[in-house]
Amino acid sequence: MVRYVTRKALGWLSMIVVATNATYFLASWFLDPRSNFKELRPVRSEAQIDRALAPYNLDPGVPLVHRWWDWLTSVALRFDWGKSPTGVSVNGEVGYRALVSAELVVIATVLSVVLGVALGVYTAARQYGWADRVSQAVSIVVFNIPASVAALAVVFVAIWLNQHAGLHFLYVAGENSPGVEGLLPTIGDRLLHLILPTLTLTLMGYVGYHLTQRSLLLDTLHADFVRTAQATGLTRSQAIRRHALRAALIPTAASVAFSVPAVFTGAVITETIFGWNGMGRYFIQTISKNDVHGAVATAAFAAALTAIGAILADIATVFLDPRVRVS
Amino acid sequence: MTTDAPARPTAEQTPEAAATARKYSNLGLGRLYLRRFQRNRLGVVGVVIFVLLVLFAAFGGRFTSYAYTDADFTALTQPPSSLHWFGTNQGGNDIYACAVHGLQRSLVIAVSVSALTIVLAAIIGTGAAYFGGRVERVTLAVIHFLLIVPSFLILALVSHRLAGDWRVLIIVLTVFGWMSTARVIWSVSTSLRERDYVKAAEFMGVGPLRIIFRHIIPNLGSLLIVNLTLGVVATVLSETALSFLGFGVQTPDVSLGTMLADGASTVTSAPWLFAFPAGLVVLLTVSMTFIGDGLRDALDPTSVTGSAGGRR
Repeated sequence: MVRYVTRKALGWLSMIVVATNATYFLASWFLDPRSNFKELRPVRSEAQIDRALAPYNLDPGVPLVHRWWDWLTSVALRFDWGKSPTGVSVNGEVGYRALVSAELVVIATVLSVVLGVALGVYTAARQYGWADRVSQAVSIVVFNIPASVAALAVVFVAIWLNQHAGLHFLYVAGENSPGVEGLLPTIGDRLLHLILPTLTLTLMGYVGYHLTQRSLLLDTLHADFVRTAQATGLTRSQAIRRHALRAALIPTAASVAFSVPAVFTGAVITETIFGWNGMGRYFIQTISKNDVHGAVATAAFAAALTAIGAILADIATVFLDPRVRVS
Repeated sequence: MTTDAPARPTAEQTPEAAATARKYSNLGLGRLYLRRFQRNRLGVVGVVIFVLLVLFAAFGGRFTSYAYTDADFTALTQPPSSLHWFGTNQGGNDIYACAVHGLQRSLVIAVSVSALTIVLAAIIGTGAAYFGGRVERVTLAVIHFLLIVPSFLILALVSHRLAGDWRVLIIVLTVFGWMSTARVIWSVSTSLRERDYVKAAEFMGVGPLRIIFRHIIPNLGSLLIVNLTLGVVATVLSETALSFLGFGVQTPDVSLGTMLADGASTVTSAPWLFAFPAGLVVLLTVSMTFIGDGLRDALDPTSVTGSAGGRR
């Protein structure tokens, strides 16, 4: 098991390394830190701009391969992800935000999987019942709503609830309130701020699991082995849970890895709308400020999240699928 | 072959039998598909909504004297009225005119990206499946790699520099959008390459490119058409997301995504800025999904969803 996970993790690690380096080149080609200086007065000369960028390893006069090598060695040896065009360390910016975003993405992914799979199983077992039809219709519509519309609809409803029902715990902006002291109040405050963004992301994420889990389970429900299990004396729900569901969960577990990039995309929009100081919003800032190193660090973070999701999916597959042998 | 199958009407048959026979023999493939599509009520609803949206985008501009670039400084952030049907935004732009233009822009982008993506994905997917071996392994590795890399970040990165121009956005969205479709097409064509007619063509000395284009791709027709409609949905969603964040279509041009972004900050004080583009986007994507479902039922002979009384 340990060897299997290590082998998988090494594969993903190399994937992250390749992806991050590819992003470095793309970012260097498409982001031009020099343009940050164009609006400054007094007007800087080309040479002055290059000299201002040189200490941060962004001097366009230096060949790209040299800059890349310097960046790579500093990341590999000191885990220093470089500096923004204004000289702010990327590590300092990313540390806190990574926690904020990871919290959002992980909780939303877990909730989506649990909710989606549960709903899929419940509705597949009652195919064409009213619960199945209603949830199917809701899911198809939700599936087609852009993340921005969904997030703003959640904001709208939350503000309406706050005004009309007199609620005060639905926060639509920020990841914490200023001036909260002490450990427990801080945790409580953060959890309250987490409600709406997580709700939005879960809403965006559960649909895929619901629809696929439903059709996967419908396929296995009519399989011979489920009927045999019922013939040996198991009740229908036991047969579904122990035999049909176990087979139907395998593709779902594998798809979790491929869904993490989508959740991260959703997080970019959710963080923008809810004013969270996370990696998603940071990525947008880095692009508009032509911050090559910051953008690359965000891409690496997203790739790492995907890899973690994929490794967890691999482990789940080992437990679910008897055809995968690890020892 | 059964003997009582509808045959060509002959002189010996009764007039009624001849009429029934003609009715069935006239039912060409296109009519059959149409009939099966009509059985799916949601699919028909989707077509109606989609046609209305296209008509709105094409001719909606004739009913207003404002262009989307005109600023009416006597009406800033006004709610819908008889003068401005959908209200105006902070700059005095008529939201109706903006919605017509934005829908037009989003539709053109979505349909062309989806069509280009399907072409690219079909060629890559079938090519990988047909040639097999090393070509297949390398292609799949590239596809998996691109699926794992957060392509949205790359899209944002690339389109930030190039965009503002919707034609460039079409290319960028195509280049980073073909992977998952190509993977589906690949997995289906792996079984097609073993079919007898492909083998027969091979033994007759037909070249690989000709086999792919004449024998494999036409047999994926229904899959490609269904994926075309689903691709429109996916493109609308990613175009809106990009434009919402300021990376896709950029001012002074208007798409549904930029309108959503404009309305986002005033959701409670000026909800019409947000409600109209949001409604149009959702109508567009939901109608396309219904059409895709209906097409799948109509075109796919193995589809189970259509046979069980057309229920879903």
